[in-house]
Amino acid sequence: MACEKEIWQKIGEGFVQEYYNQFDNTNRMGLGNLYSPDACLTWEGSPFQGREAITGKLVNLPFKRIKHIITEQDFQPTVDSCILIMVFGQLQVDDDPPMAFHQVFMLKSQNCAWACTNDVFRLGIHNIPV
Amino acid sequence: MSDGEYDYLIKFLALGDSGVGKTSFLYQYTDSKFNSKFITTVGIDFREKRVLYKSPGPDGTSSKGQKIHMQLWDTAGQERFRSLTTAFFRDAMGFLLLFDLTNEQSFLNVRHWMSQLQIHAYCENPDIVLCGNKCDLSDQRVISENQARELAEKYGIPYFETSAANGHNVSQAVEVLLDLIMKRMERCVDKSWIPDGTVRANGPFTPDPSEGSEGSRCAC
Repeated sequence: MACEKEIWQKIGEGFVQEYYNQFDNTNRMGLGNLYSPDACLTWEGSPFQGREAITGKLVNLPFKRIKHIITEQDFQPTVDSCILIMVFGQLQVDDDPPMAFHQVFMLKSQNCAWACTNDVFRLGIHNIPV
Repeated sequence: MSDGEYDYLIKFLALGDSGVGKTSFLYQYTDSKFNSKFITTVGIDFREKRVLYKSPGPDGTSSKGQKIHMQLWDTAGQERFRSLTTAFFRDAMGFLLLFDLTNEQSFLNVRHWMSQLQIHAYCENPDIVLCGNKCDLSDQRVISENQARELAEKYGIPYFETSAANGHNVSQAVEVLLDLIMKRMERCVDKSWIPDGTVRANGPFTPDPSEGSEGSRCAC
């Protein structure tokens, strides 16, 4: 039986698709428009607050090409009507070997549009070689 | 390449901003042979090379030489995300700190890398060689040899102007680093050697070839 997707999942999927499309195929300036004006980004442990700071960080990442491949994405509605998203995937930068990454987003509806209020990014690499 | 007998297993680590030429430098040093081994879980790439190390004996004569199995560790791009896992620093005995002579920011960031080393390396004053890379691009150079030498002197570390593109000073820089490490090990070894007066062919740090990185244990 085909199951109708919940509304928060549809919104979440749309956001994830747009986010990584902008990330991989543009100069990343447009990514700023997906964040709320006072959004928070934690990038590998470094905090950035506000759309301007976040855009600056993402635009100035030191590589020419990047490609994200999403392995899985999960969505949840929160008690205050936001959408929590976790993305798990791999990314490849220029000619480097591919690396795993995790990214968590919080979306909030503001002025009839969904914007990202929180974003946490980590590479999937560890401290202990196995 | 990683099997067989050796006297010491020495792990080197290449550090510096993204784009300064770390991978090309290691590629040039390992005879342009691509034998990189990528460990996904820790985001680390490494290459290996065997060398024969001959230290001058106490009477000036050259010893028979020690077989060194070198592992050269590379970041595989994780530094672009400003995330160096502590795995990257673990067990490394020597550090090649690179900057790009045509990129001022990479030179200014040498300070950042030095402080990272002091935090994460096995001791506060590990053996480091500073390399100003891309010296073949003389028309694009923005850092003078004097500026770089002054900085290296401040840290008390050797400095080389290198070119991963044409190989200039690449093996020299690695050899000087190896020499510093071997001398440090000898200093440590001496203390245990002198009392009982026995000289073992391979010294007390002889690694079991079937085992891991025994050679990286320094008693300092």
